[in-house]
Amino acid sequence: MTTSSRVRRGNKIRRTTGELVFDILNTLFLALFAFTALYPFLNTIANSLSSNRAIMAGEVYLWPIEINFEAYKQIWTDPYLFKAMRNTVLMTVFGTIINMFATILAAYPLSRTYFPGKKIVMVMLTITMFFGGGLIPTFILMNTLGLMNKFAGLWILSLFSTYNMIVMRTFFQGLPAELEESAAIEGANDIVILVKIMLPLSLPVLATLTLFYAVGWWNSYMGPLLYITDPEKVTLMLKLRQLLWAAQTAMQQINEEGLMDKPRVTEEAFKAAAILVSTVPIIMVYPFLQKYFVKGVMVGALKG
Amino acid sequence: MTQLPSAIKPQRLTKRERLWRDMRRAKYLYIMLAPIVLYLIVFKYLPMGGIVIAFKDFKLGRGILGSDWVGMKNFQELFRSPDFKLILRNSIMLNVYLVVFTFPIPVILALLLNELRALRFKRVVQSVLYLPHFLSWVVLAGILIAMLSPSSGVVNRIIVFFGGEPIYFMADKTWWIVTFVVSSVWKEAGWGTIIFLAAISGIDPEQYEAARIDGASRFRQVLHVTLPAILPTVSILLILRMGSMMDVGFEHVYMLQNSYVRSVSDVFSVYVYRIGIERLRFSYTSAIGLFQALVNLVILLGTNYLAKKVSETSLF
Repeated sequence: MTTSSRVRRGNKIRRTTGELVFDILNTLFLALFAFTALYPFLNTIANSLSSNRAIMAGEVYLWPIEINFEAYKQIWTDPYLFKAMRNTVLMTVFGTIINMFATILAAYPLSRTYFPGKKIVMVMLTITMFFGGGLIPTFILMNTLGLMNKFAGLWILSLFSTYNMIVMRTFFQGLPAELEESAAIEGANDIVILVKIMLPLSLPVLATLTLFYAVGWWNSYMGPLLYITDPEKVTLMLKLRQLLWAAQTAMQQINEEGLMDKPRVTEEAFKAAAILVSTVPIIMVYPFLQKYFVKGVMVGALKG
Repeated sequence: MTQLPSAIKPQRLTKRERLWRDMRRAKYLYIMLAPIVLYLIVFKYLPMGGIVIAFKDFKLGRGILGSDWVGMKNFQELFRSPDFKLILRNSIMLNVYLVVFTFPIPVILALLLNELRALRFKRVVQSVLYLPHFLSWVVLAGILIAMLSPSSGVVNRIIVFFGGEPIYFMADKTWWIVTFVVSSVWKEAGWGTIIFLAAISGIDPEQYEAARIDGASRFRQVLHVTLPAILPTVSILLILRMGSMMDVGFEHVYMLQNSYVRSVSDVFSVYVYRIGIERLRFSYTSAIGLFQALVNLVILLGTNYLAKKVSETSLF
């Protein structure tokens, strides 16, 4: 490693002692920093598999103590959590499809060099990035339009993100112009050019934005909190919040009443397991999409 | 796209004819944009118009147009209220802490990551640091609160192990602010490096070459090549950040907040939710929203103006 990088970095370069010390300290520091960022998750995994007694006694650090799967069994049989999960999957899948569709609809025309009215649309979009009506007028609007308690309302309200749209537009603009020109000469219209030429060439950015939107929907809290009040439609994050914080209040009560044993102890491992179960889909797609999103963000970041 | 018909029809067109021709050619683009523009008008610009309720006594039953005008009454009430002073102070305080402590960290991290020579190790570190960005505040706060628990949390176990007293992180006002800032670093510092690493990767290797020939050490290379190269990105991000000095993320505060620390943690977003949505004081909270949006805009434009004066980089 050292030799090759030395060659790469020029021929008469050698690491001075100072540089060597820096390299070691830098590696150690970043390793420690990364471990600190990861540790809370490792601790949560260990908690979810530990006995309640061990958690409350503060014995669990990195490995499960008195390993058992009770918490996961409890989650598996919890009808409310299952329903919340189903609602979130529904909201995420359709929300992401709608977002991607709208993002493409906006990004493609705005990536064209010129058409009458392009500037007006760009100005309209830019203004919304720096100024908005705010929470209350939007809330009144949603009420007036009868969009409360409908996932469709949430989907329409967050139709697309301007930032993501600009990332996609920048990507379209970076594709070689000759391709569309030759297609246009053969008589292809804009829709054919978009579907047959631009989209197949844009898979990395499509993958990145799909990930961003999907994660956004999966994690969304404020939207459902404001606009979904029907318990039948409760989403996973709302449910998780209820569950985690209700456990906290219940615990306080139990403490005050001096009941120290059973109900309290089931909570901690159950909470940890519920947290993990609700993040599993993200953790699963994360490694596959990682190579795309770094590129995608860079495209948007540098030119947007 | 505009190449072909001009070759076939070489005659000159009037301005209006040219406009018509361009518009006809773009008909599919208009079809695509129509729903987008409709969306912007209904869901972005109508609410902007809805801000007028800040100057009205809004009643749900009477609608926005039917409600009575009250002039500046909502604003007078707002500026007189002790709540307002508190949330204004907290919003500024938390934002200043966030900018001072969390803004430089991604820059430093990116510089350190860039100096790593073991590429596989670098990738692993990056993957780990990006991860929290993809998780919600519900999840992160849930984990944090468990870890910081005075009785069973790992952090306090370690403090006790080294002979300290358990700290009530979530209930003590100072420690709550620390927790708030650190949790922000945890979630976003790694992700924030991407944009700087992208800027660094765009640096021409010859610049390093030249610096080395001049005998510059690696530290001086960072100081005189890498840092100046990412400075424009840093300033653009800082200007953009100034445009949200009144905003503190709703979910971030809402999840970590509790009744013990309300006096340092109540900020605009949480307050508007609690008073506006839960107690249905629409007009009063719209006035807060308008105040907040305007202050943000003024700070953004002011910073942008200053940046333009003292340097080359600015938003517009």
